[in-house]
Amino acid sequence: METITSICPGCSIGCGLYMVESEGEEGRKLRVVHRKVAPMNEGKLCKFGMRLPSYYNREPLRNSVDGTEVDQDGAIEAAKERLKSMNPDEIAFVALPSTTTNEELVSFASLASGFGGENLSFGFERFFRDIPEEAYYAIENGLPFTDVETASKIVLFFLDPYVHYPLLARRILKAKRNGAQIIEVSFTKNERGIADECIVVAPHEFESLREQKALFKDSLIIGELTPYTNPHLVSLMLWLQASTSSRLLLLKPFLNVTGALLMGGGGKGAEKRKGLFEILDKIDSGKIKALYLLETDLTSVLLRGEAVKETLSKLDLLIEQHAFRTPLSELATITLGSEPFYRKHGTVVNIEGRLLALGGESATGLQILERMGNGRSYEELHSDVKNLLGVGSSEPSEFEIAVPRTERKFEVAFLTEFIDSFISLLKLERKEESGEEGYSLWYKTNPFFWAGIRDKRFVEISPAAMRTLGLFSGDQVELALGELKEKVGFKISDVLDDLIVSEDKLAIQPLEGRWSEVDQRGLPTSVALRRAT
Amino acid sequence: MQSKCHLAWATDEEIRNKGANGGFVTATLVSALETNFIDLALVVKKKSVYEGILVLTSDPEEVKASAGSLHGVPINLAQSVLEYAADKRVGLPTKPCDARGIIELVKRKQINLENVYLIGLNCGGTLHPLRMREMAMAADCFGIDPDSVQREEITGGKLFLEYNEEGEEKEQGIKIDELERQGRGRRDACKSCITKIPIMADLACGNWGVPPGEKKTFVEVLTEKGAAILNNALTSGAIAVEDAPLEGIELRKKIEASMQKLAERWKGALDPLIDLSPSERFAFYKEELQRCIHCGACREVCPVCACEEDAKCLGLNEESDAYAVSMYNLIRIVHLMDSCIHCGQCEEVCPVDIPLTLIQRRFSERMQRHLEYTPGMDVTQTPPLNETKLRWSAEVE
Repeated sequence: METITSICPGCSIGCGLYMVESEGEEGRKLRVVHRKVAPMNEGKLCKFGMRLPSYYNREPLRNSVDGTEVDQDGAIEAAKERLKSMNPDEIAFVALPSTTTNEELVSFASLASGFGGENLSFGFERFFRDIPEEAYYAIENGLPFTDVETASKIVLFFLDPYVHYPLLARRILKAKRNGAQIIEVSFTKNERGIADECIVVAPHEFESLREQKALFKDSLIIGELTPYTNPHLVSLMLWLQASTSSRLLLLKPFLNVTGALLMGGGGKGAEKRKGLFEILDKIDSGKIKALYLLETDLTSVLLRGEAVKETLSKLDLLIEQHAFRTPLSELATITLGSEPFYRKHGTVVNIEGRLLALGGESATGLQILERMGNGRSYEELHSDVKNLLGVGSSEPSEFEIAVPRTERKFEVAFLTEFIDSFISLLKLERKEESGEEGYSLWYKTNPFFWAGIRDKRFVEISPAAMRTLGLFSGDQVELALGELKEKVGFKISDVLDDLIVSEDKLAIQPLEGRWSEVDQRGLPTSVALRRAT
Repeated sequence: MQSKCHLAWATDEEIRNKGANGGFVTATLVSALETNFIDLALVVKKKSVYEGILVLTSDPEEVKASAGSLHGVPINLAQSVLEYAADKRVGLPTKPCDARGIIELVKRKQINLENVYLIGLNCGGTLHPLRMREMAMAADCFGIDPDSVQREEITGGKLFLEYNEEGEEKEQGIKIDELERQGRGRRDACKSCITKIPIMADLACGNWGVPPGEKKTFVEVLTEKGAAILNNALTSGAIAVEDAPLEGIELRKKIEASMQKLAERWKGALDPLIDLSPSERFAFYKEELQRCIHCGACREVCPVCACEEDAKCLGLNEESDAYAVSMYNLIRIVHLMDSCIHCGQCEEVCPVDIPLTLIQRRFSERMQRHLEYTPGMDVTQTPPLNETKLRWSAEVE
């Protein structure tokens, strides 16, 4: 029985836990145990954290070259050689940092830099393009949860904490018990009743937020930033912060995004770096021919999993470094097997700015990167991490906020084109009579969504939709997008009449369209809804 | 078996100094391993005064390394015995709630009690590690650097912290009563727990009844197994034993009674629903339970839960149902009515802070009283809900 102090990779909160490995009659067994001393979560875990054993019990990725299993040396040498033979402009490096340590990210960035370096994405570059430099911090840095608990007013901006970031909910409840006013702005009313006031806004009513500015005054606005967040929505949140003397906390879906953004993946130089969707477009157009994916299964993370496979099949060279086999492994030219996250030695930064050390002892993934590149030791890389984060030479404890944020003043314009863009996307105007067509599918993302794991198997629809479609309890609904159809259960919720809300990533997905057009604008998809037969 | 009380201590100087109250528990487990009396020991290894990890080991050195009190590590060992040692001869130190959980699992045929040696520890309560850190740090409490604390102990109704300040070893003690008046102190479940001496274990060990200043453990031998593991340690020379003095026995009883009285008072003080009307209580239950996100953590850590994947609480629950309170919660409340030991583990891991201990206690305690059944106390007592089922089956046949 071996107990390893670890952190949940499910989101940027970084919940502390133990992974316990034991050998039994039925082989190796993995259990998750609550680590009550962890200040991020006091040992509490959401459903995703509780299911980490099955997340980790996936088939390991072996080292291979052109489909043939080789030893690690062989795979690394082949990867090095083939990358060297490519034109630097034709190579891209992508890591959406959920299971990558700070040390690995520094090493990966250094490797990318050695090959030209402009096509390196941590998934969040595009959000920095049209905002003033003074506002970068609001995206890069989070806030300690004590700031949430002591806020006097909290605005949940299109964020249902119970679903998106469950371990945030108790912090908001604590603020509420401390007397804070909780306001929710969303397309749906949070059924668990966390908010004192709920403003259900249809996109065509967004203009009204400009007039309702007073509502946000001196508040803590909590939203989220994912690769799918509409950049106009980010501008709107920044405008709300700047014009109402508020603070903004943007949660992120991947554990180590804060680390990645603060160590060079953030605003500084973002205009030069290519974003994730631009890289995918360039692969489609044949301008990028080689891709190195570090612990990133794009078919799980992105909504259009099948389209990802189609795009990546156009590459001449796909290098996949991962602990587990993914749907992309069969497409990969070279696979490099690393260790599961809980076995890793290294650090991550959570949304609060805590520099958290992982309790594992393995450095397989890091050694692969270093053997591909500069060959530095863990100590050297860790020292780089601390310099980049500005924490000095000490080893901060998990009980301190090692990377605090400094608030700055900035100005951002209220973008009316945002409203137009959203209306055109969602088509959520109330109709005289609803039929089967013209529903909008809106995802409430959560750790299961980003890990590509189905959990709920039902969608939420409005009472009006239930009446219109003649649904009864126990029925199923069918969602359709072109030729694609999916049958699921349903739950009646207080959502806008023509809205369908799903916490699961559904199989119906647009197959056509440029990545920077279809995906960059956000998640909503226009679908048909009918009673399943 | 007629219980017998002793004062006992480790003969090994190092164990005697490092272990709490003369190191009897550590020495007994070490000797049991060394003499092959047990295969494994399940112990909590200290990482700091706020953190310990479970270790299942056959190595006596690891057991020695786990010596000493750890009131800031409030875990329950019952499910770990089931998970890792159900088919091994295992010895472990157990708080009353650990032992009660194990006894309930024995009744449900999950653990073979013959294989498990329960070295019970008298328990006045444990503390949540983060609340303990806050107590250490707060200027109006201990006012010290929480990371400088090397050792803690609860004795004579006080929480003592030993810490290092500018190279100097220091100690401070604050009365538990005083801490709790400030809203600090023990976990709520511990404050209202009336099982202070683990009479369901094989041995019950602690410092109540030990003459002041003596590094010895007061040991009550409660079962034949308890006598056997004690004799094994005695024969191997790991411990020394003397009869407990009569005044020590009386003092121990007195301490237990006074702590139980305090716990009864806490039960009332910790229940905000006493003066509410039924509809107000219903509103409370609904508001609290509707926050459930169905993570399953409460079920996972429950020391008496023996159902597996086909559990009723899972099988009869559907998250798409639009009930304010899910069937998962309702079934768990009903299912645990006769077996909940009110240990508070469920509440402590609940990610949305549902006061599960309070809710569970409100329903189960009245029923347990009515059925004259206290779970986890007597392995020969059948859980009443099971008994009803058996009687009904017999009548049908």
